[in-house]
Amino acid sequence: MNNAPMIEAAGLSKRYEDGVLALDNVSFAVRPGEVYAMLGGNGAGKTTTINLFLNFIEPTAGEARIDGIVTHRDPLAAKANVAYVSENVMLYPNFTAMQNLEYFTRLARRPAPTREALRQALLRTGLAEEAHHKRLRGFSKGMRQKCGIAIAIMKNAPAILLDEPTSGLDPKAGFEFIALLKSLRDEGKAVLMSTHDIFRAKEAADTVGIMNRGTLVMQRSARELAGEDLERVYMEHIAGHNGLAA
Amino acid sequence: MLMLVIQKELRDILTSTKFIVSFASCSLLILLAFVMGAAGYRTEVARVDAARRENLKQMEGQTDWMMVRNNRIFLPPQPLAALVTGVADDIGRTMDVRGRGEIPQEDTRYGEEPVFAMFRFLDLEFIFQVVLSLFAIVFAFDAVSGEKERGTLRLSFANPLPRSTFMAGKLAGSFLALAVPLLLPILIGCAVFTWMGVPLSSDEWMRLALIIGAGLLYFGAFLTIGITISAVTARSSTSFLALLVIWILSVLIIPRSAILIAGRAVDVPSLDDINAKKFRYAEQLFAEDRTAMSAFSPAEKSDPRKMIEEFQKFMGNVNDARERKMDDFSSRLNEERANAQQVQSAVALGIARISPATCFTLAASALAGTSLALQDRYLAQAKGYQETFAKFILGKTGVNPGGGMVFRMRVGDGAQEKPIDTHELPVFEYRPPVLGDVLPAALPDAGILAACIFLFFGIAHAAFRRYDLR
Repeated sequence: MNNAPMIEAAGLSKRYEDGVLALDNVSFAVRPGEVYAMLGGNGAGKTTTINLFLNFIEPTAGEARIDGIVTHRDPLAAKANVAYVSENVMLYPNFTAMQNLEYFTRLARRPAPTREALRQALLRTGLAEEAHHKRLRGFSKGMRQKCGIAIAIMKNAPAILLDEPTSGLDPKAGFEFIALLKSLRDEGKAVLMSTHDIFRAKEAADTVGIMNRGTLVMQRSARELAGEDLERVYMEHIAGHNGLAA
Repeated sequence: MLMLVIQKELRDILTSTKFIVSFASCSLLILLAFVMGAAGYRTEVARVDAARRENLKQMEGQTDWMMVRNNRIFLPPQPLAALVTGVADDIGRTMDVRGRGEIPQEDTRYGEEPVFAMFRFLDLEFIFQVVLSLFAIVFAFDAVSGEKERGTLRLSFANPLPRSTFMAGKLAGSFLALAVPLLLPILIGCAVFTWMGVPLSSDEWMRLALIIGAGLLYFGAFLTIGITISAVTARSSTSFLALLVIWILSVLIIPRSAILIAGRAVDVPSLDDINAKKFRYAEQLFAEDRTAMSAFSPAEKSDPRKMIEEFQKFMGNVNDARERKMDDFSSRLNEERANAQQVQSAVALGIARISPATCFTLAASALAGTSLALQDRYLAQAKGYQETFAKFILGKTGVNPGGGMVFRMRVGDGAQEKPIDTHELPVFEYRPPVLGDVLPAALPDAGILAACIFLFFGIAHAAFRRYDLR
């Protein structure tokens, strides 16, 4: 397997027009077959990082790279290699799950999918078959989340960006999601997951990064964290950087 | 990729409840416009036929063409005027044509039925101008900002989708999804129109197709404006409010304000002023004629017939000379007024053309033959008919009474005289404009609407390049 970083932030900084420094010289790399959990509180810079990888905003300094492609230089090529699942997946409410899945698969410039392929992708996420042909309008957040993951599966991109994917999911759905995430990792996908959920991060991540006020304050592999209480580590880093350390 | 976005737009719009409700309402109104237009046309045809018969009936029984001093002519209803009323209901439809002199216009539709002037008719032009522009806004206001609010914009642009493709797909998809279905009630309306007995020539069908084309351009202009506003605002509620203001300005305020501004900027002498001047001049001419008449002395005084003939000839010459002077004077005044009116119209329409609604109204009424040019066209043809009528009466009687007083001495053996055959009277046939006549007037406004679409699409495209997708 090629071990070059699939998702890479190199000295990534972002200062908004109002002067707020949202991201300050952040560097990390996610390799194929790796899940990188980016922990942090609100305003830590997690979503800004994701937005930079999707080229929704441009960096003030540094580069965000997908498969070596600098996202703000060639955004279309970069986006062809990345799948994205947001915290609250919003799809076209007048379309059925199948129709949404087909549309976003084709929007990703993938060949027109067969109905069976769409069905299998939805089943893999755990979305019951009777929901496949229902309009999204009546779907719960968990069901929409499953559709979002199915879109990522259908896109079959080597890099996956997950923005608070387990937020608001019930424990069962959260458990299913982590299992799915692991299977995607085993297929060789590089996954960058921003989350508040320390428990899920510990469960699924190969590397954990903690962000605070736009800075990556800690980065350790799961092996390094094996004997440690991640919650305590997290609190130490957040508190320390907020000037609350004892 | 463009086709994919277009297909998505089509599916998204066509499956929405908003579309079903709006489309049903618009379809109903469009069909209503055709049905009411056809019914109104048939009523007008019957009215004009009855008025024509009544006019001839009044002449029946006359035994001398000398007694036919005038003939009433009527502006027949035009099939396209039933769909695009324009000024057709505001101008006098009946003219009392004499052998010479000015031709007064009377009997406007709104004069006859003033209640209709209050709210005007529900014609196809109204449906397009008011209802379809709102229809466009209702679907365009959240085209971009709504997708942002729903979160679908973020997911879409997480894919290799160029912004220009998305914007072009939005516009093309929305236009196809909204405009093409509207052709269905329009086609049904056309069928109903024909079925209800409104005869349309191939030229009129062509013009109707162009009116619908102009309507679709207007619809496209509002759709593009809507998408543009949606692409420069972050919230759909802001976009809707901005579009509502634009709609009110465009449809209700600008056309009316333009006329008010032009009215202030360009002074046009009132009809009362002109009529007063004409009256004073006529009085002066009559006074001069009375002096000439009092000095009249026939050369032949022994034969009353020759005396009358000489007097008739004298009076004819006096009348001719007076009418000529009066015509010249009136023409000068009318021309001055017409020139001032032209300048005023040019100023008013120049300002009003900022609004797509004005451009559509002008294009549609020009194509329907119911624009401001209708009055001039009708009057010009009436003047042409006046000459024909004068020649006919001159041929029959040897004089052109011009509606004036006729001295007549009857010398006969008391035998019953044969009544005149009113069918000999030249018939006035209004010649409506054909496509070649109206196209030059309609094309600039259609061009402005097309330019409006391109301009706003360009703005939308430029704005969306910098749009915050987060």
